[in-house]
Amino acid sequence: IQTSAMFSELQKCPRNVLVCERSSFMNEKSRHDKHVSQHYFNYKVSARRYGCDGGVSGVEETGGWGWMGALTALCVLCDPGRFYALSYKTRIDQDDVVALLPLLILSVVKDTYEQLGLEGRPSQYYGSSALLVGTEAWSLPPCLSRYPWKELQASVDTQTLRDLPCPVLHGDDLRGETACEPHAFLEWLGAVAFVICSENEATSFLSTYECPEPRTLVDQAVLCTVTGLLLPEDIHSLLEELRRYFDQPKSSSWLSLVVHGFADSPISWGMAEHGFHKGGENFYSFVLFKNQDYWLHMGTGANDGCPP
Amino acid sequence: MAAFADLCISGTNDKKRLQSIIETAAHLGYSTVAINHLVEVQPKKQEIGKPKCVSELFDHFPIVQGRSRPIRVLNRLTLVVSDTSHFRQTADFKFYDIIAIYPKTEKVFHAACMSCDVDIICIAATEKQPFHFKRPPVFGAIERGVFFEISYAAAIKDSTMRRYTISNAISLMETCKGKNVIVSSGAEKPLELRGPYDIANLGLLFGLSEGDAKAAVSANCRAALLHGETRKTALGIIRTVKKSQPADEREDKEAPPSKKAKLDAM
Repeated sequence: IQTSAMFSELQKCPRNVLVCERSSFMNEKSRHDKHVSQHYFNYKVSARRYGCDGGVSGVEETGGWGWMGALTALCVLCDPGRFYALSYKTRIDQDDVVALLPLLILSVVKDTYEQLGLEGRPSQYYGSSALLVGTEAWSLPPCLSRYPWKELQASVDTQTLRDLPCPVLHGDDLRGETACEPHAFLEWLGAVAFVICSENEATSFLSTYECPEPRTLVDQAVLCTVTGLLLPEDIHSLLEELRRYFDQPKSSSWLSLVVHGFADSPISWGMAEHGFHKGGENFYSFVLFKNQDYWLHMGTGANDGCPP
Repeated sequence: MAAFADLCISGTNDKKRLQSIIETAAHLGYSTVAINHLVEVQPKKQEIGKPKCVSELFDHFPIVQGRSRPIRVLNRLTLVVSDTSHFRQTADFKFYDIIAIYPKTEKVFHAACMSCDVDIICIAATEKQPFHFKRPPVFGAIERGVFFEISYAAAIKDSTMRRYTISNAISLMETCKGKNVIVSSGAEKPLELRGPYDIANLGLLFGLSEGDAKAAVSANCRAALLHGETRKTALGIIRTVKKSQPADEREDKEAPPSKKAKLDAM
């Protein structure tokens, strides 16, 4: 009896949090700007269009270029005085991680914290580590030239999918009472990104996944993915470009934009601490509709607070 | 938060196999591994011997996947003890970074928990635990900073051993409530190693909570290593390092070395 009580714990997964918002870009009080601009460290953006020909414009210009300094940090310099950096090949649940906004943010293990002698606050998720947030901006560009660095370009990948089963979405039904529920919708987005067959064929041993009902069959869908150190500013301009897409005469009824944060970033939104338990997801997904309405889903994992 | 470690890799004379296991461990994401030297303690005095120097294994140690540092390799000694009188601390212990004990009887388990100077107490994985885990010795070990180790390689090889491993682990958890537990492989081949996040999931089957299961491959291993390091210090506070004097300085000394006042030693 005792073992079955213990194993009831096994049925639970590490917790995750999903916040869903619905608003319109035309609404003055819409918080989409704030959510995008406060999610600083993004490593992948994928924009998708379902049902029409042509690519997704604006994606190729996203991402720009960055630097890898002495193989220790990924940095992007955009305007004079505006500088983003994140330490490279450091794991948030094992190592010291450094981030620059250009505000200095350090997530350090106990030994490093004791050696540094700086003041910080204990990590919410790891017993023996600390998060230190600086108050002054660092000016790093003069120091950069001292170290070896190489230029990196963000990589862009485009895929066209044919005959794709696609859930039917109604702009005013965020909770999915008549259509597809948010978790099921996000699961479908993930299945499409990895080109997982969603026919639930009897002969398939790999996937029994099925597209959520109600669904339609779409002739063609285009997926564009950019990977690199991507700035909130770039994502803003991409979002504006995608909004303009609906001005075209022949456009699909909805578009999606999914932005993934770095799994090993010390922060998720604003200064909220981010951790990695068994997954470091901190992502958000926009669904844009023709009437300039949007859905925003923000998701985080076990070692994270609630998204804003 | 700590880097992942696997504190039990079976030591073997086959250098290539050992290199292959360490490369696999680095690829899976382990930052530290310990090569295990198993010794059956005899009633009469025995030579344990020095372990092979770790630096002979690789010219360049493999880099841990996802990080920029090479994997750290340590030496560990496991003593299989069936009688309390057989356990003796010898001078050979200082060559090993971790000392572990595998108690075969309840009396030895009690002595290991309460008094023996060891870092790790091994839990049987290939046979049913011959005695029950009682609260006083288990809590005594927890207070002293000694860790209980569960090995999973046997569970991979055979289904009967899998049952023994899980049932022994669960009966330990009922007593220790998930504290001071580490999980290591005991791997003899590279294929018997599993990734640290997978082992954190395996810990859930042993009855550990989410946090404890991840600590069993990271923070607790680090604590066990630090416990081993303190054996080379005085009460864990003072550490002495032999300073090498250059040859010309030695000739300059005129006065013979005199006794220093007690205060200087502090």
